[in-house]
Amino acid sequence: MSSYLLKTLTKKEEIDRIIRDTIDEVLVLRFGRCTDAVCLHHDDILAKSATDVSKFAKIALVDVDSEDVQVYVKYFDITLFPSTIFFFNAHHMKLDSGTADHTKWVGAFHIKQDFIDVVEEIYRGAMKGKMIVQCPVPPERIPKYQLLYKDV
Amino acid sequence: MKKPSKKSETEFCKVCRLHHDQGSRHKYFPRHKDFLSTFLDRFRSKIADVRFFLKNPSVLRPEEQSQNRVWCVFCDEDIVELGSSFACSKAINHFASSDHLKNVKQFLWKNGPAMDCIDDFRISEADVAKWRRKCQSLGNEDASSFKGSCGQSGTSNDIHNKLAFKTMDKIENVPAPHINSHHSNDVMPLQYNTNKFQISHSELSGVAHHASYLNMDASHLPLCTDPLRNGFGKDSIASRTKDFPSNGNYCNQEDKKQIKGSYSSPDGLVVTSISSSHSSDACGNVHSGAPPPWLDANDGKSSNVQLNQSDMSSFQAKIPGKTRKLNPNRVGAEWAERRKIEIEMEKRGHGINNKIDADWLPNFGRVWQSGTRKESRKEFEKEKRKLVKPESISIESEPVKVQPYISKRARRESVENGCG
Repeated sequence: MSSYLLKTLTKKEEIDRIIRDTIDEVLVLRFGRCTDAVCLHHDDILAKSATDVSKFAKIALVDVDSEDVQVYVKYFDITLFPSTIFFFNAHHMKLDSGTADHTKWVGAFHIKQDFIDVVEEIYRGAMKGKMIVQCPVPPERIPKYQLLYKDV
Repeated sequence: MKKPSKKSETEFCKVCRLHHDQGSRHKYFPRHKDFLSTFLDRFRSKIADVRFFLKNPSVLRPEEQSQNRVWCVFCDEDIVELGSSFACSKAINHFASSDHLKNVKQFLWKNGPAMDCIDDFRISEADVAKWRRKCQSLGNEDASSFKGSCGQSGTSNDIHNKLAFKTMDKIENVPAPHINSHHSNDVMPLQYNTNKFQISHSELSGVAHHASYLNMDASHLPLCTDPLRNGFGKDSIASRTKDFPSNGNYCNQEDKKQIKGSYSSPDGLVVTSISSSHSSDACGNVHSGAPPPWLDANDGKSSNVQLNQSDMSSFQAKIPGKTRKLNPNRVGAEWAERRKIEIEMEKRGHGINNKIDADWLPNFGRVWQSGTRKESRKEFEKEKRKLVKPESISIESEPVKVQPYISKRARRESVENGCG
């Protein structure tokens, strides 16, 4: 359902274009599969929040099964799905949520407000010139995962 | 050691309108000074009106004598022009009197600023003498014309007089002979009824409007057959108004509005009418069924509006206000500015490469990076090249033959045996 509401990208060109054309707004890229249950839950929250954050953020979904996208899967070190990466003016924004990986948000958001808070925090930090921001979501609602160093 | 402040008797300050026991110190307080400045400014404006009639003496009609009055704040006296034949004659005489001068001095000593502004609140004897001479000459000149005009207009223009008294109640001293003597060519008396004539005779509407100011004086002005001939116009009336004071005692700001083309009704409403020259009959109006002007104007522009809507983002980028609001130190600010310019150029069709380089990658800080983001990108590109090279090598190389191991000595011996 959410894939009809949010744009799904399957090619590197499309991802490049959306990154380059999003100016002075937060770009939220969700890397995942539309068949995965956790991704579906995550997508539902993204779709519901899209209008609320439309003034300062843009949301797009990326299908990781597409071959063209594998470059970005490797570049962004995506090993777990869904992974959400944030950009601002073609610059990657890091999020310190207390987990091992600050470059992305791994897993689904519990509630819509968490996602909106994260995007807002990233926007505020970006407007102040910060490239890494503190996650406003309480630790109990942050998904936990194990990060392997280069598959070791 | 500080001396305890003496408490003086309670006094009433006329300027501040309050009781105080500060004694002579009261006049130095900033609040008192503020009130005093406004107090004196008000009186200055009143005396300016009187000075106007000092320079331009005019006859005072008996009907308006009771309305012509001034309150002198220094003497606490109301000066009413009852029984005087010229405007402000009693006021002029009062301001020139020695009693008034004495009261002014006393007031300034008690309340106020330095004594050097005494002359602002009194009239000198020399000025009064000049005024008297002017009055004498005026009285001789207009005695006959004044009587004549009174006789003619008494019966026919009663309605106009009533209107004049109702609407121009603040204009108390605008005598006809004054107008006649100073601007004989500029304005002419009203010849027609203003109400009906305004609607039915549009060619005379301008005349009617400009002459409406003169309603009150129609009774006293000599009749004229051809008002248009004498250059009736706004400019002439505007020049007349300069001679009249602007203060509320003797003249009202509304009269200027009236002069510009307004008509005052018996109810006191001031209505400004638009002359027929402004409305072009060729375009039509609501009654004729013509379309409204905004629809006509937008027909040509609607397509432009539609086109512009598609370029809203670029136009928003163009708006300098928006770029100024954004923090110049925000993340990717320089890139954003460059990108906006590129987008604008693309929209205008200046043909910059729309195609993105296939190897383009955004600024990304990798998970296991050590160093800057550029280094992480270089690292990724190296890894990418390594991935590509082994694949290409494996495709190009021949299949490897597996052979048993032969030691160096055995190889040497076989070579020697071969040679030998």
